Amino acid sequence: MRQPTLLTRLRPWFAGLLAGAAGLVYATGGQAAEPALVDADVRAIQNELRRPHAKAILVNVWATWCEPCRTEMPAILAFHRAHLAEGLRLVLISADDETERAQAAGFLAAQGVDFPTFIKRGDDMRFIDALDPRWSGALPASFLFDGRGRLRERWYGEVTRAELDRALQRLSKRKP
Amino acid sequence: MKITIAVAGMLAAALATLATGAAAHAAPEAKNALPLGSSIPSATVKMKSVDGKAVSIRDVAGKRGTLVVFTCNHCPYAKAWEKRIAELANGAAKQGIGAILVNPNDPTNYPDDGFDEMQKRALALHLEVPYVVDDTSNVARAFGATVTPEAFLFGANGKLVYHGTIDDNRADPDQVTAPYLRDALAAVAGGRAPATKETKSLGCGIKFRPRP
Repeated sequence: MRQPTLLTRLRPWFAGLLAGAAGLVYATGGQAAEPALVDADVRAIQNELRRPHAKAILVNVWATWCEPCRTEMPAILAFHRAHLAEGLRLVLISADDETERAQAAGFLAAQGVDFPTFIKRGDDMRFIDALDPRWSGALPASFLFDGRGRLRERWYGEVTRAELDRALQRLSKRKP
Repeated sequence: MKITIAVAGMLAAALATLATGAAAHAAPEAKNALPLGSSIPSATVKMKSVDGKAVSIRDVAGKRGTLVVFTCNHCPYAKAWEKRIAELANGAAKQGIGAILVNPNDPTNYPDDGFDEMQKRALALHLEVPYVVDDTSNVARAFGATVTPEAFLFGANGKLVYHGTIDDNRADPDQVTAPYLRDALAAVAGGRAPATKETKSLGCGIKFRPRP
C-alpha cells in the first residue's frame, strides 16, 4: 500500500484554509475574487425566492451607474454578514447592461462579495412586477421576503443598516 | 402559453403583496403616481426653460393633448432614450399635442443636471419643445413621478391617458418591439384612447430637492 505523502496529508488542511480565507474575506468585508454574475430572468428570480432554507431573503436591485446603489451597498452587505448565521439570504440583482458586466463584477469584488449574484435579463416590466407590483422601477430598491417568499417590506430608494435591522426584527416576531 | 404564465405570475405577485400588506418605506418624496383619468397637476407652475423663458405645462398644452416627460441629463436610462424622447416630443407638436420635458433633479450632487448642461443637451438634441427646471422638485412630487425618464400623456380633455416608459428597449432603438409612447401619441392625436395605458421600466430614481 502506498504511504500518503506529506502533500496528500496536507491537502485537506489547504482546502479548509482556502475556504476559511474566503469566508474571512467576506465576513470582514475584504476584497474578494470576482463573484459570478448569473443571468437572471423573471423565472430565475422567482426560483431563487422559492429556494428553501432561508428564514428571510433580502433582494436588492442595484446598478454600477446608480450612485445611491453604490452608497448603500456596504450597509446591505454588513447587514447580510451580521445575520447570515440566522438564515438571512441576500439576493443582489444588477440592472447593468451586458457592456457593464465587468464593472459590476469588479464593484462587487471590491465590496468583498464572493457569492453568486444576478444580472437582470429580459423584460423590465415583468421583472418589476414579479418583485413588487407597486414598485415603479426606480433604483435602488430593496425587498424583504420571509422564508416562504412572501414580500414583507420594501424600500424605494436608499436603505440604511438600522432600517434593515429593525425590519428583520419585525419579521422575526411575525407568526409564520 | 408564455404570456399566460407571465400574467399569472404578475397576478400572483399582486395578490401576494396585497394579502401580506407588505410595509413600504418609500423615499419621503414618493407617493402613488398620478392615476389614469387625473387632470394635469401643477399645470400653471412656471418653470425656467433652457431658452430663459418661464413656461408652465398649461402654456404648452395642445388642442389634442399634452405630453410631460420627466427626464434629465445624467441618468444612463434617460440618456439611452433621449434622442427618441426628443424626436417624439418634437413630433408631438405637429400632431397638435403640446410637449414639455421637465428635469426634476437636484444638481448639487449631479452637476450634469445643472442648467448650463441642460442648455447644451437641448441644443445637441435639436429640441423644439421646452426643457425646463423643476427647481423645487414639487412638480415631480405632484405627479408622483419617481424615475427618469417617466412620461405622462394627457388627452384633449386634459385627463391622463398614458403613463410610463418610452418603449421596450432602451439599449437598441432598432430592437424595439413595443413603442409604447409613440403608439400612445398616435392614438391621442387620432382622438382615441391608447391601447396600452400604463407601463414601467427600470430607471434612475429622481434626485429630489429637499423640501423647504
